[in-house]
Amino acid sequence: MNILNPFRNLILTRHDVAKDWKMKDKHVIGWSCTYTPEEIIYAANSLPVMVFGDLENTKLADVHLPINTCSFARSCLNSSLKKDYNYLDGFVASSSCDNRNKIFDMWRYHVKIPYMHFINTPHTRTEKSQDFFYEEILRFKTSLEKAFGKIISNEELKNAIQVYNENRLLLKKVYDLRRKKPPLISGVEALEIVLSSMMTSKEEHNKLLNHLLAKASNRTEMPRDGIRVLVCGSVMDNPELLKIVESVGGNVVADDWCTGSRYFWDLVYSNSDPLRAIAERYLNKIPSSFMLEGEKRFKHTIEMAKWFDVEAAIIFVLKFCDTHLFDAPQRMEELQTLGLPVLYLEWEHSLSGLAQLKTRIEAFIEMVGGVE
Amino acid sequence: MAETKPERKLQTTRGFYKNYVKKFYEDAHKAKAEGKPVAWVASTFPVEILQAMDVFPVWPENYASLCAAKQVSVGLCEVAESKNFSKDICSYARVGIGSLFEKTDNLPEGGMPKPDFLVASTGACDTHFKWFQFVSRHYKVPLFLLDVPYNITGADSENLERAHIEFYVSRLEEFIDFLEKQTGTKMDKDGLKETAALSDRTSQLWDEIQNYRKTIPTPMDARDAFSAVFFILSIPGTQMAVDFYTKLRNEVKERAENKFGIIENEKYRIVWDNLPLWFNLKFFEYLNNLGAVVVAETFSHVWMGKLDPSKPLESLAEKYLPNFANCSIDRKIDLIQNLVKEFTADGVILPTNWGCRMMSIGETIVKDAIYEKLGVPSLILDIDSSDWRNYNEAHVKKNVEVFLQVLSERKQRG
Repeated sequence: MNILNPFRNLILTRHDVAKDWKMKDKHVIGWSCTYTPEEIIYAANSLPVMVFGDLENTKLADVHLPINTCSFARSCLNSSLKKDYNYLDGFVASSSCDNRNKIFDMWRYHVKIPYMHFINTPHTRTEKSQDFFYEEILRFKTSLEKAFGKIISNEELKNAIQVYNENRLLLKKVYDLRRKKPPLISGVEALEIVLSSMMTSKEEHNKLLNHLLAKASNRTEMPRDGIRVLVCGSVMDNPELLKIVESVGGNVVADDWCTGSRYFWDLVYSNSDPLRAIAERYLNKIPSSFMLEGEKRFKHTIEMAKWFDVEAAIIFVLKFCDTHLFDAPQRMEELQTLGLPVLYLEWEHSLSGLAQLKTRIEAFIEMVGGVE
Repeated sequence: MAETKPERKLQTTRGFYKNYVKKFYEDAHKAKAEGKPVAWVASTFPVEILQAMDVFPVWPENYASLCAAKQVSVGLCEVAESKNFSKDICSYARVGIGSLFEKTDNLPEGGMPKPDFLVASTGACDTHFKWFQFVSRHYKVPLFLLDVPYNITGADSENLERAHIEFYVSRLEEFIDFLEKQTGTKMDKDGLKETAALSDRTSQLWDEIQNYRKTIPTPMDARDAFSAVFFILSIPGTQMAVDFYTKLRNEVKERAENKFGIIENEKYRIVWDNLPLWFNLKFFEYLNNLGAVVVAETFSHVWMGKLDPSKPLESLAEKYLPNFANCSIDRKIDLIQNLVKEFTADGVILPTNWGCRMMSIGETIVKDAIYEKLGVPSLILDIDSSDWRNYNEAHVKKNVEVFLQVLSERKQRG
């Protein structure tokens, strides 16, 4: 059996995983942005899951949203409208992009989940912003406590931090397998591992990761050698796109996106006040493009490129994802300065259009590898 | 025909571009030449503080709309696109970025004077600061970002969350430090009070002007409003703004009292959301020719705000935090609902803006809510304010005409 199968299965059965959790008399809280402090939800004995869509048509959401809307957010709304998420006890959003802010209204008006909460995430990291964010996190904790009638203790928060940090460290170890030449796991597999971590309890996921790490070095079905590629972007939940890269002679060995390294790279550092430690971790983590700090963000891109010794980079930006679209020209420049060939693709979250992307990716990998 | 005959046009706004806008850019270049600090500012930033510190504010958004009106916006968008900026981002931003690479001789009004620093707020969108981030890097000048809490409950100035006001004020204090460093001068507290008082007066006058538009027939149309809004938007805390609005108020008041409408045979009273087609301002005349007149724009109603000179920073928070761009859709619904009622409107036109999520997402909710609450129909028009490459005039006009037909039938039914 492929040692990566459990992760893929989690993705395929994610709604059942959540429903099973509910059968144990626990709550499931959906979140939409990696700036949501999951530890607090976990400490409340609830299951935090990232809300994803699927690649099918979005006709239910199309009634409410104009064409010029992020297609990932559209697909998430569509899934909730067709009741894929009718098990959610709560939904938490964060002020991390204009699409999200405005689509939160759609959730309020058309999805109506029993508990809904919005976290204001500052876009700067000044002292005042840190204080404000701490208060926001505290407000979130209090609101959860009130909604679900359970006080969250410091001990529970500390435990959640420990479980989450363990998951982050294990994911880093998994990523280390990609430094090998050829990498021990493929880009598709790495993406599935990270995505699955957002769909089940971290404690369960840690067990799977430990098992994987124990077996990985004896792996027999390894990825073939190929052009080492770094991928960048906002959210990526479509393994098909990476499959294309890896089917035409590329190896996706590193990433800089929300459903990859930016999700788990930073730990929560211990502090006598666990809530403050959590607030600090989220506001100071490797910044996404809605944060003002450009330098730290691009530094991470460059570090990923170097650490994983890549030979080329592909920037995938979702159409209408404004903050990432604004960053793309600079990100291209920064990567080109390292001497890397860069392909910049705008993509739609759907199956249509894959053929065209395939042609461009194929031509790019061929160009980088030199025609054989 | 119900067109605006020349004698019906307002006197005060005649030659607006030449007399005020052109003059504004001449003054901006002059200020720069004299070594006065020039800042580029994005909308919803509390410009009053800059004015109090004698910093000349230049508004790239205004500049972009001007480029659209002068029919040069698309060329500048293409320049930005050649630098790998997506066609789907804000057209204002693309025009602004494109203009950085164009020779100033080729630009309207000689372009914008180079900024000494940049200020943006998240109060309208993230696009503003992402755009300015690029400018900051391009010109190697600092950018101050005022990150504003998103007003998720859509609270008005009296019901804002205390934590939001406090955060806003504390960030303004950080901004004043920044400003003092940039300009090498101390903030003059009295100067700020004075600017706040002038801005408050500007707001009051603008409010009075809007109120006269409730008259049937209305004495003022969108074409005038989208010009005249320039003062409250760009330089609210100045005597110039107060003087201009006093003159405009007097004219509109007189016309309202004499029931002298801006068009002769007013049939449909319209509330207009978001931006106009800057590249085709004659669109409002086309509406007039069909007997339709815009009696209120949401855009004219979001820049007003009481300022208390004795607590300027807090009242700036109260003025800018409830701007609907920074709020859940409920706030816009409330605003449009009030406008429809108070201005006796027959219908609402909701233009989206291709590169703008804030102006595009949620219009379906507004449309349904206004119909449900008041029985008044709305028309969503998918357009872009400054990039006409996807503009299909025949299609837009057909939609408008069908919409007016619906309004007409509703009127006949009573």
